[in-house]
Amino acid sequence: MALTEKYKELIDLARANNLLVNDAGKVLKIDGTVPSASIKDKMWDIYQRLDPQFRSNDVLLNVKAAVTEGGKVRVVTRESRLNIRKGPGTDQPIVGKAEKGEIITLISKSNDLWWLVRDVDGEEGYCYAQYLEPVQ
Amino acid sequence: MTAITLILALGMSVASCKKVNDADVQKTAQEVLMADPALAGVVVTVQEQVATLTGIVEDEAAKAAAESAVAAVENVKSVVNHIEVVPPAPDYSELDAAINAALADAMKDHATVTAAVENGVITLTGEIRERDLPTLMQKLNALNPVQIVNNLTVK
Repeated sequence: MALTEKYKELIDLARANNLLVNDAGKVLKIDGTVPSASIKDKMWDIYQRLDPQFRSNDVLLNVKAAVTEGGKVRVVTRESRLNIRKGPGTDQPIVGKAEKGEIITLISKSNDLWWLVRDVDGEEGYCYAQYLEPVQ
Repeated sequence: MTAITLILALGMSVASCKKVNDADVQKTAQEVLMADPALAGVVVTVQEQVATLTGIVEDEAAKAAAESAVAAVENVKSVVNHIEVVPPAPDYSELDAAINAALADAMKDHATVTAAVENGVITLTGEIRERDLPTLMQKLNALNPVQIVNNLTVK
């Protein structure tokens, strides 16, 4: 089955959010920024339902939820607390921790993978962006 | 009288044609091609003011550009385009380096998973808990790979 057929539901939602959809070759690529974390989550839910356990290796879904610097983000670790580090990298010393579900302030996302944040105690440092989602 | 004028005119025009030196035209045409790095692989030969293009370029646009550039050269009557289009082999070394640099952070919480990167493709082996799989996939998809090959055992 063609990728566009198999992932029609995902593509329709992507197009509705003006994402870049590229189905050239053997991998369907979807890139861009969606207005909210819930749309991003929905896209991942659809992807996982259409391709259980991500076994087909035929999609790249690189979707970010829109977030503005100075805005609030929620810690979305599975169970553990999120490390806040001195610099952008797991080799950097830990300067603080944020609880799961805690809402902290985004200062800068100039580094795509590591966002600079300020926690509720005023501690500033870098967190892995995948564990943060914008609060509407 | 009219006939003589015609013969003279013809004779002169033939003479002026003969003044066109194919070698000069060829040299000019080749210089025009060399000026564009995308057309550096094109060779032009000119015979009887007909330019023949051979060689290799990376895309159809360059092939067409070579033809129009040479057609515009003075004293080129026509162009025969035998240029071959051979797309370059993609170079993934920069992408691989970028992915590898970001990979350690992405893999930190997934000690039972091994990720290998080659030609922009991330291949996953090892095992993972099913509930951790989407988290890992989201992290890896954010690294802009060409493809992710999931050979993980899901527990």
